[in-house]
Amino acid sequence: MKGTQLGEFEELVLLVVGVLFPEAYGLNIREEIINQTKRKVAIGAVHSALSRLDEKGFLESELAEGTHERGGRRKRLFKITASGKQALERNHELRNSLFNQIPEMALKIV
Amino acid sequence: MGLQPTYEPPKTAVKLLSLVCKKNLFEEIEGDLYEYYQGQREEKSKRMANLHYWFHMLNFIRPFAIKKLGQNSNTIIMYRSYFKFAWRGMLRQKLQTSFHLLGLIVAFCVCGFIYSHIKYESSYDSFLDNADDIYRVAWMNQNPQTRTPHPMAQALVDDFPEVIDAVSISPIYGSGLTKATVLLKNEKSNITFDEPNGYFVDSTFFDVFSFKPIHGNVKEALQTTWGIILTKSVAEKYFGEANPVGERLSFNGMEDMLEVAAVVEDTPKNSHFRFNFLISYVSLKSLQFNDPWMSWDDFGHFNYLKLAPGTDAKAFEAKIPDWAPKYLGWDEENVEALKTGENKFELQPIQSIHLHSNIRWELEANGSYSYLLIYGISALFILLISIINFVNLNTAKAAQRLKEVGVKKTLGAYKSQVFSQFIFEALFTTFLALALSFVAMYMLETPFNQLVNGNISVADLYQTDVILVLLSIAIVTAFVSAIYPSLYLNSFEAGQILKGLKTTKLGGSSVRNGLLAVQFVAAILMISGSIIIKNQISFLKNKDLGFKQENLLVVEVDDFQGDLEVMKTSIQKSAGVLDVSLVSNVPGGQFNQHPIYAANNPSLRVDAAEMFIDNDLATTLSLNIEAGRMLNKEFSADSSGTAFVLNKTAIRELSLEDPIGKQLNWVNNEQLVKGTIVGVVKDFNYNSLHVPVRPMIMMVPTSFGYNYLVAKVSPANLKETILSVESNFKEVYPEGGFSYRFLDDQIERLYLEETRTLKLTTLLSAISIFLACGGLLGIISIVIKQRVKEISIRKIMGASASQILWLMNFKYLLIAGVSLLIAVPVSVYFMKDWLSNFTYQTGIDPLAYVLTAIAVLFLIGFTITLISMKTVKSNPVNALRSE
Repeated sequence: MKGTQLGEFEELVLLVVGVLFPEAYGLNIREEIINQTKRKVAIGAVHSALSRLDEKGFLESELAEGTHERGGRRKRLFKITASGKQALERNHELRNSLFNQIPEMALKIV
Repeated sequence: MGLQPTYEPPKTAVKLLSLVCKKNLFEEIEGDLYEYYQGQREEKSKRMANLHYWFHMLNFIRPFAIKKLGQNSNTIIMYRSYFKFAWRGMLRQKLQTSFHLLGLIVAFCVCGFIYSHIKYESSYDSFLDNADDIYRVAWMNQNPQTRTPHPMAQALVDDFPEVIDAVSISPIYGSGLTKATVLLKNEKSNITFDEPNGYFVDSTFFDVFSFKPIHGNVKEALQTTWGIILTKSVAEKYFGEANPVGERLSFNGMEDMLEVAAVVEDTPKNSHFRFNFLISYVSLKSLQFNDPWMSWDDFGHFNYLKLAPGTDAKAFEAKIPDWAPKYLGWDEENVEALKTGENKFELQPIQSIHLHSNIRWELEANGSYSYLLIYGISALFILLISIINFVNLNTAKAAQRLKEVGVKKTLGAYKSQVFSQFIFEALFTTFLALALSFVAMYMLETPFNQLVNGNISVADLYQTDVILVLLSIAIVTAFVSAIYPSLYLNSFEAGQILKGLKTTKLGGSSVRNGLLAVQFVAAILMISGSIIIKNQISFLKNKDLGFKQENLLVVEVDDFQGDLEVMKTSIQKSAGVLDVSLVSNVPGGQFNQHPIYAANNPSLRVDAAEMFIDNDLATTLSLNIEAGRMLNKEFSADSSGTAFVLNKTAIRELSLEDPIGKQLNWVNNEQLVKGTIVGVVKDFNYNSLHVPVRPMIMMVPTSFGYNYLVAKVSPANLKETILSVESNFKEVYPEGGFSYRFLDDQIERLYLEETRTLKLTTLLSAISIFLACGGLLGIISIVIKQRVKEISIRKIMGASASQILWLMNFKYLLIAGVSLLIAVPVSVYFMKDWLSNFTYQTGIDPLAYVLTAIAVLFLIGFTITLISMKTVKSNPVNALRSE
């Protein structure tokens, strides 16, 4: 099994999957990321991240019904798993804790 | 519900995606892309949308989405297993594998190097624009020469429409036609060099030769009097990086005489002449009015023509004899010789000069076609030996793989599949060898260049034709080596093999022995050839030249304007200097020549090389005096240049009997010098041994004439001697550059090509015999495994070790014997042919063949004995019990 670290982009994708619950799938995840972060993201990059998250066990997925605008192709809907939630929390706490440790002085200078 | 029509994404992209994308991911990915495409089409043009679709589609080519190769393909899985088999098989027999690879790598490397070398040597002057249409006019009589009259160039352009441009050039010669160096000086920054390779060129130089200008207008530069054109690196020596056009240089002490008019690119290495600077004929003509050198009488210029594209040079050449006489003003006899073709003006294609022209006054030492041929043939032989090794070993190995093939066939393999496996394995080896040989060539490039003094670059091999040839050699080798084993192994029934078919005999031994004989023939040809080449070359190097070439220090004094006698006396004083002599030319260099004839027999004229000498030449060079005396400036006739010393060849060709005291006329261009023969010297080889000794005349010069000071030095304390000579030189000529060399080094340089050939042929013949023996070793080691039982039984019946060894050796020694019988006559024939290129030949020494035979037979016997010893010595019971 691969490591269970969350990369920066992976974390972003994981968060967006949560935001879009229960309708998160490749294309709308990408749109949401573009809208919220103004980053340019290729569809392939999102899928790549999704597949990595899936492998790490942070996501689970099922195929939904095909729709007309997809030419009848089914889409894969993603949900955060328990361990995905834990990983997000861990990252969040780590950030907060590190942020709180920064002395006031350091921030003033900036 | 009314469904909106949807847009179809570009078909090719979808198709491509379906090809490379994993099946389980394909639907969602394609769906996402489809949906995305719909959105894009609403907003943008179809083209832009397609472009975006493509972009995102290609973005899916990432590891997570791409199909694993061979997931579902039988063929791919099968080849992957072939690959595995091949790899494991190679690892199992490390020795054999490394020999296989090594042999092929060596052969590919040798071929690559030799190919590059040949390619380089034949690339001379091909960098010129219109190189195919540029010719040099050579004068072919009994003693052919590269030089023809100056006015001829312009006259050819005027009279023949097919001659577009023509140019005369001439190296800057000192007296006696030695290439002079010129002292160039930048007065401002006080930078002086004794600059070699200066040329006088006519104003049309750049019409014919497309050397690339960097600064200045080259065309105008050649029209200006006392303008000088420098090459880039020379310009940088004097002026640094800045544009030097308009700067001034001093010429042999004449202050600021020359103005830098242009700078051109350095002459490429593969040019048959290389210049450092150019001075226009315009400058020359402004000085010397009515100089006979510029007339039709003096065959003293290198004339190059540019013909119209597509002109038949031979047809054009045939027009010259009818045209030339009106300018030449010759007597009937000479015109007749021209018209009959006895003497003729020949057009030498410029690209063939380096390899095919080797006549008098070549601008630089040219290469030799016959040596290239030797290299090429040697390389092909080595390739042949190596390919045969590969084929032979593969066929001999076939029996070892019987079981493997049996199992495969039972599991349902077709014959073609067995075949393709063998092909695959062979291809794998040859391609691996090919790839490794390129690595090896990169590593060996510098050592090889140093060894043979070459200029090759492996990067030149990356060309379509070379790559194609190499690939096809690799493929053909692989196929040939795989055909026999697969046919042989396919010929058995699977069941039969598994039931325990024992093949005691290796098939195909007659083919294999035949190929072995071919290898031996090639190796014998190469070894005997290289011995004969070595004999010839050491013969040339050790031949008595008629003078002592050792310990002769040659100091250049051609730019010294003062009294040379003072210089001579000064150097004579140096420690370790025994004798000193002033000369115009030194042996091993080039000599000017003019006709001479006996006063009582004016019709018999011979061209004689001339050498200006002083009193001490005979002692310094240890020349042998045949009759009369050497020159002595005490005699007034000697010092006025009317006393001559000739060599024996000159006396013979003039058919003079009792020559001392005879009147002789020396035709120095227009000027006729009448003098007396006072001495005759034995012939000495003042040219390279590639040519015979020609007539020579020696005299004391009336004015300037000495270029060199030759000092015989004692071999002890050479360093101190040179320092002492230098300080004495500087005392007399403080502003001069002291440059010296040893005469034997200079003479050695005449045989550069021979030295290179010797090194290469020795190396290549060693490689060839090593490869041939290695191949033999491989075969024997397989053969002997098949014969273990036979040997054991023989031992039990009482055969001695030597009897068994003889049994093993006999067949192969017989093959070697047959090969010798074939190879020796072939070798004798070709080596005789090669030797006939030389004026001085050693002849074919039968010992060369005896040595070759002994070496080959010994190496073969040694190889076989070495490999069979273990089996022969082992306890026969062990081998027999295992049944």
